Amino acid sequence: MPLRTFLPLFGLVVFLGSPVRAEEFNIYFKASPRLELLHPYSDPATLTLLVTGADGRPVAQGSLAIRLDTPKPGRFFSTDFPFVEGSRLLEMNLPLRQGKADWKYLFPIRGEYLLIVDFASPDGRKASKTFNFTIRENRQKWFFLGLFSLALFIFGVVAGRIFTSLGSHHVTGVAVCLLLAVEGLMSLTENAAGQATRQGEQFGWLEIDPATVGIPTSVRWRLAGDEQREKPPALLTITITHPEKSKMVFAIERLAVTGEFAMNFQFTDGAEYRIAAVAFIAGRPMLRTERNIAVVAVEPPARAMIPAISFLVAIVAVGLGVGRWSKGRATKSWNNRKEHIERKQNPL
Amino acid sequence: MRKGFVMERTVASWLGVSLPEQFSFFIKSGLFLFASWSILYVLLAAGYPAVHDSLHNFRHALAVVPCH
Repeated sequence: MPLRTFLPLFGLVVFLGSPVRAEEFNIYFKASPRLELLHPYSDPATLTLLVTGADGRPVAQGSLAIRLDTPKPGRFFSTDFPFVEGSRLLEMNLPLRQGKADWKYLFPIRGEYLLIVDFASPDGRKASKTFNFTIRENRQKWFFLGLFSLALFIFGVVAGRIFTSLGSHHVTGVAVCLLLAVEGLMSLTENAAGQATRQGEQFGWLEIDPATVGIPTSVRWRLAGDEQREKPPALLTITITHPEKSKMVFAIERLAVTGEFAMNFQFTDGAEYRIAAVAFIAGRPMLRTERNIAVVAVEPPARAMIPAISFLVAIVAVGLGVGRWSKGRATKSWNNRKEHIERKQNPL
Repeated sequence: MRKGFVMERTVASWLGVSLPEQFSFFIKSGLFLFASWSILYVLLAAGYPAVHDSLHNFRHALAVVPCH
């Protein structure tokens, strides 16, 4: 074969067989508000996935398999939910609606999350993409940690001075003020059974496995009642709220389903959660199902507690050292002054 | 021994010995740090319901203290 014919043919073969062909679908991820503005347990974000074809137009049909993993454990400090670190938060399949799939989610901890998305079109073509994004800790929490550390440091300094020198009334007064300040700081921060509403012949049914922090729990909704009857298409809205914090932690709205929906969801706090499902079926009244579940809390492991406590005690220890040093300096200066005055009074 | 060291004077007269100032500071600091560690552990890490419930928000507010 002449080289002039071979090269274009070779180029075509390489193009068709290369990963570029896999990019006939593009998957985009967007969060609202922007990820930089989000903090753990602050406000739920609307997460949107958009799938477009090679021509840039949204793909009309298909489904997305979505998995969301939490940040891995830190080297030294843990977050305030150590059992959630390095675990799976969410696993679900969502159908595309005008090329998009969206849901609301409240991120539980700081760190780098991993969102793995697998797209499958009705004709069997597939595309995958992994998104990494970081959720920053609330600045107010760092501020409180700084304030608390400062209080412990001053506490250590006062103790260091007391242990080194005379226990004067002045130092005792400082200690009392410090205790009051710590108390003020602490007060500053203090700021079942399935229920199915039977309507007509069919009703919504929520099944939720026993939930434990750190392990994804199966959440299933199905249209129950008349099993013989064909399951009509429904628009399903599922909302999971944390009543104690008065926050919505997850929501999907008007998701097109046929009789059932299932997902794996991790309840990240050992508290009570409320799961509500509302199904809209053409020509029928709205079906609302609600369940409250108590999530089993897990005591944090020692490996998560010891670094934090040790860090705080280390601050007290540094304070002790600084207190001793400052008292030693002050005593030396006082002795020099005293000696100087005595020399002045008795030059001989 | 100076005026304010009541505890040292009491202990010294009781035992009949007095410790060097540096050694005394070392012992007092050790006891103080141990007490601090114990108190911080009970306040921030122990699972006693009364303590935990009272300080739950405070624990979460510190960002590095784990909770359930």
